[in-house]
Amino acid sequence: MDTDRERHRARETAFYLFTQQSLPACKPVLTPGWVIAIFLFMGVIFIPVGLISLRASHCVVEIVDRYDIDCVPEPSRMDKVSYIQDDSIPKNCSHFMKYINPSWIDAEVNSYSLQMYVKSRSDKQLLDGQKYHDTSSCQPVESNNNRPIVPCGLIAWSLFNDTFEFIREGAELKVNRKNIAWKSDRGHKFGKNVYPFNFQNGTLIGGGKLNPEIPLSDQEDLIVWMRTSALPSFRKLYGRIEEDLDVDDVVVVNLMNNYNTYSFGGKKKLVLSTSSWLGGKNDFLGHACVFVGCSSLTLAIIFMLLHVKYRRPYGDMSYLPWNRKSFSG
Amino acid sequence: MIYVRESHVEKMGKTQDVSYEILNVLEFNSTRKRQSVVCRYRDGRLVLFCKGADTVIYERLGTGNGDLNKVTRVHLEQFGSAGLRTLCLAYRDLAPDLYESWNEKFITAKSSLRDREKRLDEVAELIEKEFILIGATAIEDKLQEGVPNCIQTLSRAGIKIWVLTGDKIETAINIAYACNLLNNEMKQFIISSETDAIREVEERGDQTEIARFMKEEVKKQLKQFLDEAPQYFCSPSGPKLALVIDGKCLMYALEPSLRIMLLTLSLNCSSVVCCRVSPLQKAQVTSLVKKGARKITLSIGDGANDVSMIQAAHIGIGISGLEGMQAVMASDFAIAQFRFLEDLLLVHGRWSYIRLCKVVMYFFYKNLAFTLTQFWFTFGTGFSGQRFYDDWFQSLYNVIFTALPVVIVGLFDQDISSSLSKKYPELYKEGVRNMFFNRRVVAIWACFAVYQSLVFFYFVSLSSSTSRDSDGKMFGLWDVSTMAFTCVVVTVNLRLLMMCNSITRWHYISVGGSIIVWFVFIFIYSGIMTRFDRNDNMFWVIYVLMSTSYFYVTLLLVPVAALLGDFLYLGVQRWFFPYDYQIVQESHKDDADSINKPDSQETKEHLTPDEARSNEISQLPKEVSKHSGFAFDSPGYESFFATQFGKYVPPKAWDVARRASMKSKSKPK
Repeated sequence: MDTDRERHRARETAFYLFTQQSLPACKPVLTPGWVIAIFLFMGVIFIPVGLISLRASHCVVEIVDRYDIDCVPEPSRMDKVSYIQDDSIPKNCSHFMKYINPSWIDAEVNSYSLQMYVKSRSDKQLLDGQKYHDTSSCQPVESNNNRPIVPCGLIAWSLFNDTFEFIREGAELKVNRKNIAWKSDRGHKFGKNVYPFNFQNGTLIGGGKLNPEIPLSDQEDLIVWMRTSALPSFRKLYGRIEEDLDVDDVVVVNLMNNYNTYSFGGKKKLVLSTSSWLGGKNDFLGHACVFVGCSSLTLAIIFMLLHVKYRRPYGDMSYLPWNRKSFSG
Repeated sequence: MIYVRESHVEKMGKTQDVSYEILNVLEFNSTRKRQSVVCRYRDGRLVLFCKGADTVIYERLGTGNGDLNKVTRVHLEQFGSAGLRTLCLAYRDLAPDLYESWNEKFITAKSSLRDREKRLDEVAELIEKEFILIGATAIEDKLQEGVPNCIQTLSRAGIKIWVLTGDKIETAINIAYACNLLNNEMKQFIISSETDAIREVEERGDQTEIARFMKEEVKKQLKQFLDEAPQYFCSPSGPKLALVIDGKCLMYALEPSLRIMLLTLSLNCSSVVCCRVSPLQKAQVTSLVKKGARKITLSIGDGANDVSMIQAAHIGIGISGLEGMQAVMASDFAIAQFRFLEDLLLVHGRWSYIRLCKVVMYFFYKNLAFTLTQFWFTFGTGFSGQRFYDDWFQSLYNVIFTALPVVIVGLFDQDISSSLSKKYPELYKEGVRNMFFNRRVVAIWACFAVYQSLVFFYFVSLSSSTSRDSDGKMFGLWDVSTMAFTCVVVTVNLRLLMMCNSITRWHYISVGGSIIVWFVFIFIYSGIMTRFDRNDNMFWVIYVLMSTSYFYVTLLLVPVAALLGDFLYLGVQRWFFPYDYQIVQESHKDDADSINKPDSQETKEHLTPDEARSNEISQLPKEVSKHSGFAFDSPGYESFFATQFGKYVPPKAWDVARRASMKSKSKPK
């Protein structure tokens, strides 16, 4: 009859299905087969990925050398803080490092505490320089003698200022200090016409000084330093050695131990490392992938054994409590 | 003036329209339980016709004609046992002067501004006495179709069903038998006010004496039943208990001194039938269970006399259509037929419970996983309060990136289909026992949230502690936090899919959409630097991230590692400790998807001959009568229309008897 056909057609419309709670749906039921299959699949995917990451990480050579203790001369070792703050003492230091194909240099600093520090910057000022006046977020390093400080803020104030020179077999290795910051920072965050002004003029000197003639967009040390890091122990890129070094080369590092990490118990290390497609030497990703893959495989095997041993008849209605009770009356 | 088409038995076949003038109408109300009309015949005779419940009519009968009264009473009991609704009809001749004086009082009462109801009742009392009984009527008030089935299914679901009705005790018991609430194997406790002892005391007429005696009687019986009940209880295979109690006895049983006994006794019974209850008593019984037993009560009714009961219960349901819309207007839910209650409770109620539990748990879980990540970060910042995530991420997390999928789950999730829910009503008990939102469930979700937040934070931050770019450049705080946030959003959305029982297209759209919206947002947010930003921490972050292969490896690893624990738990739980609904899901996993077929098509082959016949009859074109209820069904109605269309309907027993008696009357002609 016509009404039946109309009714049937009405039932097919999307709106009817929506309001009548009868949308076509897939009802996944997690059967034991699926569980085992998924674990196997994950194992098969993650173990190779993990192994590849580990290999990438292993081909990175990394040499870490802690120098902040060694570079303080013997007599001042008891009171490192006053040693570092004393401007009159020259702070040269020489270190020997044996390398196996390195090419990047990182400086690593441990143990910084973050919050106010991270906030204490003004990105607008970095772009616009003195034209930008609202630098209240830079407290407490905002202005000195009523003249604004560019760049302001604690982060800039504590600019890392140890320097390193590398000598191999008497000849100095060229260190490329350019292109160490992310292109987006260089291009967009730090103004091309902004020059440092009234920087580190106060009584308390937190770190390095900036050359007032170079615009901020070219001050890559500052740019790298201003990219605040996540953890209290972090590394910053110092420069790139572009020459190939051979195995078993000995490189002498002449460094100026200027930066004061002693007052907060921090550590300074120099890291020389190569880099792969996955970045620096970090086994964590590789290990984690392998761990996930292995545990999936183990779980798959365990489940298979359990399935064979304790087989619950699948979908057996006699396991329902009301059916079970009827057996006992 | 009304016209009545009369045809007298002597002049069979010839009809004439006779006019009567209606002078007053004394309307029906549930306290009086009767209604009357005063009319004037064409020849000037004044008659008061009254129709009402048998008790009230019998109280007002005049002396004389005792035989007819007795015979009618016997018939009334027979009708009651047959499950019919009975009414008595009576009349009284009025003298004109009596009528005039009464009419004045009536008009005054009708136009009074205060206590109009009470005054009308009093005035009606003045004239409604000294009746002469005409006879009794009995109407079959059919149960709606599907009621017995519905009641049986609901009791399998663990719901206890009580019947509160204004009918006589025989009618009520009959109806309870028809609904499978009572059967012969049950031990029935009957507390009635129609015993001989009570009638004797009533005839004596002393009100206080009656009250005291009845109270004593009720107390005695309650005590007796309460003592008897435990012995049936102890044996699990023993008969079930049922309680039948009368409205008058209920009045005394609901008093504070006897109330606890009544409650204890009735909670032990699997069904309770209360008859001759007034609307107020219905509400009182409902409150008794609601407050005394602390159980969730649902009351369902279709007439104006059920309104107070509907409002007294936790949930009130009105059935629309039969006796007006008062019940519907006072109720929380309105349905069209009683049997839809089964759908309402077992299907939609159960689904709502499951959906609510899922939505609430998921909400807490996702916020916990998100916030704890920041918590672990504070250990590294020396508790300085530095935020891990950008402000916009935090604000929009609950608004855009994870909001829509959980709404979709709350709307559409179904653990088993509606037909299976009705087939296995015992699954309803899972909701009664609150199995999906108790401490254990909350603790498990919280543990997994903690585990996942640890994975998010430590995997991401430890793996990005050295340079991640093949050029040696390092990530900063905001790169790491954006990476972590991406992992959080992806994981939390995928977890939602793992928790669904039924996944529709909207789930895919909302989950995929949320993740895509996150990427679109972060592309835009980190790509634009406006004059109004407070700081530009996030500038170009995502592009920096996506230019490294670290991003892709981490995005593959972290959600999988985080969800590994949940997946393992789900697999183990479903395998070794399945919930009841999961067993049902498994056994019906391979059922064909029959959502689009209307139910009648599925079950066409399984109809019994009775059902097939009633199906066909229901499809016949019907005359739409103003009285759309079954109570006004006259016996020959169905069979008349059915025979017109060539379908056979067996005549009812009393119909046959009536026609037979008519034939014998007309025979002598």
